[in-house]
Amino acid sequence: MFQIEIDNLNKHYGGFHALRDVNISIKQGSFVALVGPSGCGKSTLLRTLAGLEKTSSGDVRIAGQSVIGKPPRERDVAMVFQSYALYPHMDVEHNMNYSMRLKRRPKDEIAERTRTAAETLGLSRLLDRLPKALSGGQRQRVAMGRAIVRNPKVFLFDEPLSNLDAALRVHMRSEIRKLHERLNATSVYVTHDQVEAMTMADHVVVMRAGIIEQQGSPLELYDRPANKFVAGFIGSPAMNFLPATAADNGALVLDSDSVRIGFNRDIAAGRQVWIGMRPEHLSLKPGVNDMTIGATVTGIESTGSMTFVVLAVASQPVVLAHAGRPEACKGDQVRLHIALDNLHFFDRETELAA
Amino acid sequence: MQGIIRTIRDGSGFDILLLGLALVYLVAFSAFPIIYNIIMSLQTVDMFTITSFKRPFVGLENYSTIFAQPIAATVLWNTVQFVVLSIVFQLSIGFGLALFFQQDFPGATYLRGLFLAGWIMPALVVGAIWKWLFAGDFGVINYVLTALGLTDDRIFWLSDPNVALYAVIIANIWLGIPFNMILLSVGLASIPRDVYEAAELDGAGPLERFRSITLPLMRAQLGAVISLGVIFTLQQFDLIAALTQGGPADSSNVAQYWSWQLSFQTYEISLGSAVSVLMILFVIIVAAAYVRSTRHEHSY
Repeated sequence: MFQIEIDNLNKHYGGFHALRDVNISIKQGSFVALVGPSGCGKSTLLRTLAGLEKTSSGDVRIAGQSVIGKPPRERDVAMVFQSYALYPHMDVEHNMNYSMRLKRRPKDEIAERTRTAAETLGLSRLLDRLPKALSGGQRQRVAMGRAIVRNPKVFLFDEPLSNLDAALRVHMRSEIRKLHERLNATSVYVTHDQVEAMTMADHVVVMRAGIIEQQGSPLELYDRPANKFVAGFIGSPAMNFLPATAADNGALVLDSDSVRIGFNRDIAAGRQVWIGMRPEHLSLKPGVNDMTIGATVTGIESTGSMTFVVLAVASQPVVLAHAGRPEACKGDQVRLHIALDNLHFFDRETELAA
Repeated sequence: MQGIIRTIRDGSGFDILLLGLALVYLVAFSAFPIIYNIIMSLQTVDMFTITSFKRPFVGLENYSTIFAQPIAATVLWNTVQFVVLSIVFQLSIGFGLALFFQQDFPGATYLRGLFLAGWIMPALVVGAIWKWLFAGDFGVINYVLTALGLTDDRIFWLSDPNVALYAVIIANIWLGIPFNMILLSVGLASIPRDVYEAAELDGAGPLERFRSITLPLMRAQLGAVISLGVIFTLQQFDLIAALTQGGPADSSNVAQYWSWQLSFQTYEISLGSAVSVLMILFVIIVAAAYVRSTRHEHSY
């Protein structure tokens, strides 16, 4: 049973086509991330689910019921805003139970549910504070509390962690994930941070310019990107691309270097492609089934546990990642080993996976 | 000399210079007139003693004389009506218009700009125009009222003692609406959109959003507009001068106009001062309330 079904959804703002034929089906209890660069339409899509934006065409069903034309309050969805959008004149308790007070629930039920939610989020001692007396992380938790006391059909998150510092963001990531599992609610989460999307979601939807480029499980997107955009967007550091042309004998020739790569896929001779290589599939040490090209080390970035080596392959920048300490110095001429089993190929015109 | 120039250029001398200029200005043009006014209200001042500082001290006698005047009660009651009715209608109409123009519709900004016209015009001109509108025999208002069948007889707005005060109040309401609307529009615009969206998702309908989000978040602005409105209304002189001069038979006379009449028409200067001192006291109370209300401003 799908909790949310989006069919051929389109959204126009005047002449601007913000969402194009969007189709997503979301299972009850799953955690879906909408990810993409700014302006890709992910927030518009979320606001459309919430009922804060009107749709131009297509259908949106929540729990089997079409919600087109329904105001937000009839959709039974809760949303956590990027700015948190707390009511500045209400204390934490009243912020959290505003929705129940509007519904005129019995007093003891309101108190009980507010108390439970506050305990879940560690807000019990802050109930009488105004939002301005809270830290960013606490405000974020109040915004979540306001959503969970309602026990809605769907949770919507609009970049809820983007205003937090890095350490807190990592912490809240797992908190939100845990909360999601405990409540077993359906969640839709918008982020521009692919790491957030990959680590939190069961299902990732990558968007660009109002179009869904690809959707699937995080590792599916990582292992089998449907096009060059998804390949470059998912994964950090990003995938490296080198231009190449197919030769007639089932080999590829790098444009920059006349290195031939043995290749066992059927690509018509003369077809121009991008060769995509993940940084962790490159090595300075020889391995099994790899090929070797010459490169120059132009920079080293070490985080302690990981080392990123920036190389120039015939003036094209290529990043290599390996665990541990640097094995080369800036300026070194090195042999770059590329694991052939993990290469990706994209047509240079259509940018689709070949 | 060199030293003084140096401290003014690099040191605290510059701060003191700026502070000093402001202080001199305040003392010369605000503090001195107010204190001089208070002193006059405790003395007997008439045309013969006006040029000298040495005048007979009479204590609070001027104040008791004022309250003993037969028109004191009328003026007080008129002033209360003038202020309360002006504020209530200026505020509610101004707030209504501010909410209306907050809705996004084509031309909203231009239409809102048009409303400022009334604010730009001098009150004396506004008074002259309203005098024509209110005119008993050729005024537009009477024409419209009779044409619509709302009244059978013409109302002599400015010469009928029963309605003269209300005519002045209506003109003053019109004059005050733009100020209320603009200030409240700014307040409304400062409430983040997503707070309303959150309320909408929480299940609040339009009325509920107004009651539980807009009103409490506008508290500071409403306090400011009410306090400033009271002060402006108590300053309103030109309109009364242009429309009724407090008449007929003091039926539209209010404190500020009476104070002027006492000082500059009948030359009972000490009585005029006493009335204005009482008004200053009242305005100080209102100003204190205004300062308190600004403390409730919310940060988002």
